[in-house]
Amino acid sequence: MNQKQINANQPTRRGFLDWIVAACSTVTAALLAIPAVMYLWPAARGGTAENVEVPEAGSMPPGQSRMVQVGGKAVIVVRDASGFRAYSAACTHLGCLVKWDAAHRQFLCPCHAGVFDDKGAVVSGPAPAPLPPYKTKEIGGKVYVSAS
Amino acid sequence: MPESGRLQRFFSARFDMGAVRTFLDKQLHKRLPPHTGWLHVFGSLSLLLFISQTITGILLLVYYRPTPEAAHSSIKYITAQVNFGWLYRQVHAWGASLMILFVVLHMIRTYFSGAYKRPRELTWVTGVLLFILTITFGFTGYLLPWNQIAYWATTVGTESANKVPLIGGWLRYFLRGGEAVTGETLSRFFVVHVIILPWAVTGLIALHLVLMRLNNLATFERVGEEKPTPPQAGIPFFPVHVAKEGVVAVLLIAVLVTLSVVAPWEIGEPANALSTPEHIKPEWYFLPSYQLLKYFEGPWGAVVGVIACSFPFLILILWPFLDFGKERHPRKRPWAVGFGLVGLFGALFLGILGHLSETDMTLFGRRYHIDLLGWPHALGEPPKDAPSAEH
Repeated sequence: MNQKQINANQPTRRGFLDWIVAACSTVTAALLAIPAVMYLWPAARGGTAENVEVPEAGSMPPGQSRMVQVGGKAVIVVRDASGFRAYSAACTHLGCLVKWDAAHRQFLCPCHAGVFDDKGAVVSGPAPAPLPPYKTKEIGGKVYVSAS
Repeated sequence: MPESGRLQRFFSARFDMGAVRTFLDKQLHKRLPPHTGWLHVFGSLSLLLFISQTITGILLLVYYRPTPEAAHSSIKYITAQVNFGWLYRQVHAWGASLMILFVVLHMIRTYFSGAYKRPRELTWVTGVLLFILTITFGFTGYLLPWNQIAYWATTVGTESANKVPLIGGWLRYFLRGGEAVTGETLSRFFVVHVIILPWAVTGLIALHLVLMRLNNLATFERVGEEKPTPPQAGIPFFPVHVAKEGVVAVLLIAVLVTLSVVAPWEIGEPANALSTPEHIKPEWYFLPSYQLLKYFEGPWGAVVGVIACSFPFLILILWPFLDFGKERHPRKRPWAVGFGLVGLFGALFLGILGHLSETDMTLFGRRYHIDLLGWPHALGEPPKDAPSAEH
């Protein structure tokens, strides 16, 4: 290796300064990006997830269902002989809303034919998990739903 | 002194106009390889459609309002009240589909003619990125009318993001701007559709064209053995190839307007966050992924399905670096051509299955129900797991 090649491999003051400038620029750009990313992160919205009243629940005949929004999420409320039960209406496969099949006492997903029983458990289809349950309570003739 | 002479003097006093003119002349009269023909116009048609989408998109923006309360009614207003609003809306909607079609045809031509090989790997990579951005254009624009199909297609599409390993939940939340598809989602998709994607695509198209011009069009000669096209053998870009592009451009505009008049896109019902319509299906370019996702069940099924749907795009990007062969002519690349045909017909087959699934059809004089997975069942023998929906 001759002297020229050795010199070419040696760190130079100019090269070091270039590196410092590049590193500082990168760090500055990253620091400036942090508030922008935080700005883009969604702020919590969607209304209350506690004690959402089911409209006209008293007039629902047994075996029927009604949709309500709880904390911005669709919830299906079913009335049967023992009272009211509520489940997330979003199919656990890809998020389409299930419908209550009163005749077969099943929840059906219209998108990919997922079927859940009346307790929200998967019966057939591609859904990977049961429908998450919600709490219901009856106070003074009114029915309220809350996130579990 | 005529005005043109004054202008020329004005610019010549400030720029080296001779250099600019020489550069433009060189680009305009560049010689293309002798085999350059009608199959080489798909790229220009894609560019023409991008320009058409930009112009019609700007016109639609004048009246469109990106809020859940006003979006659907503003589209109705554009269609019914604004002069030629129906035409611009239809040309924009059909233009989106045709742009994806022509980008795909352009990629098919490039793939089978081996034009992605060294030294044009980066031209191919920018092309695949443009393809992905064009599909993203379609996905984000689809939500903007805020109708039932758009709302639920977006719900399903963004829910798929939830199946991405490790970061799926965050990704879905970020894409939607919350837990569900709401006005926040509409705002996000609107910004991506009208600001971010147009500039990203413009930049990538510029890079794609510069790379294409730097390396010229590929011939069928082996990698490393390409010879420069001699002036007497090549086809001049102007006027010969430009004339071909002009002919197909006029035909494309005719097709676009005809489709807009003969087969207009419905506005549909306004989005209802509490009711999913029956049997919703995505646009034709998402049908292969839509159908493929159905075959993966169980707790990890959707995760595997989303990975399986993303895999072809990864392969496309990496393909020039995976295919080491030096041959370009399709007859001398049986494996690459076979692989391409399997991928192409596989996507086509899945797309057709997706289109036919959950419909009834007559086959050889007998009625069949095509189930969710694409299996035909003779009517009268319905599938075991097909209960009727009652609300």
